[in-house]
Amino acid sequence: MNYQQELEKDELRARFTGWLETTVYRAKLNYIRKTSQKIETVSIEEVAESSLVSGSQEQEWCRHLSPKDAFDFEEEKLAKAFAELPLMRQRILTMLFVEEKKPDEIAAKLNCSIQHVYNQRSLALKKLRTMLAEGGDML
Amino acid sequence: MTQEEFRRTLQGAVAGGHEDLEEILRLYMPMINKYSYLDGQLDEDLRQYIMIHIALNISKFPI
Repeated sequence: MNYQQELEKDELRARFTGWLETTVYRAKLNYIRKTSQKIETVSIEEVAESSLVSGSQEQEWCRHLSPKDAFDFEEEKLAKAFAELPLMRQRILTMLFVEEKKPDEIAAKLNCSIQHVYNQRSLALKKLRTMLAEGGDML
Repeated sequence: MTQEEFRRTLQGAVAGGHEDLEEILRLYMPMINKYSYLDGQLDEDLRQYIMIHIALNISKFPI
């Protein structure tokens, strides 16, 4: 066997080793992708309020809501509209405008993102405006 | 394994020879084991997955 033949065979082995390493690496990536656990997430909007706040927690929260902590509605319509909001949005609005908490504090307390607090505030205010507009009043 | 033996074994494995494939897997087992670690522990399922992947794809290697 001359030197040229030997070099060619070495080249084959080196080429196969390189090819195999790439193949094995890709197989590992595929395996990780397939087996990585995807955490099932559910939008907070889809979750029933009863599961977000249990009865006792709700009662406790309402009990702690002293008059100075609650909204002082001058308009009865606004009070009714507010009462129709989902409980979580009521809590967020109360914490934002009555307790004057910052969105990041609320997010930490409710264990949600800051953006979620902003979204809920926006949706709640929009809903209130709609309900009041339907009643012939504008917020 | 000499270079000539390696060439013959690889050709056999690429052509679909089971014994040659076994030989290639045995030869490259250190590399397979190296890639079979997840979070610092040898993952036997990953090792099997890699070996199956090699078995299914070795025919694509251009000799």
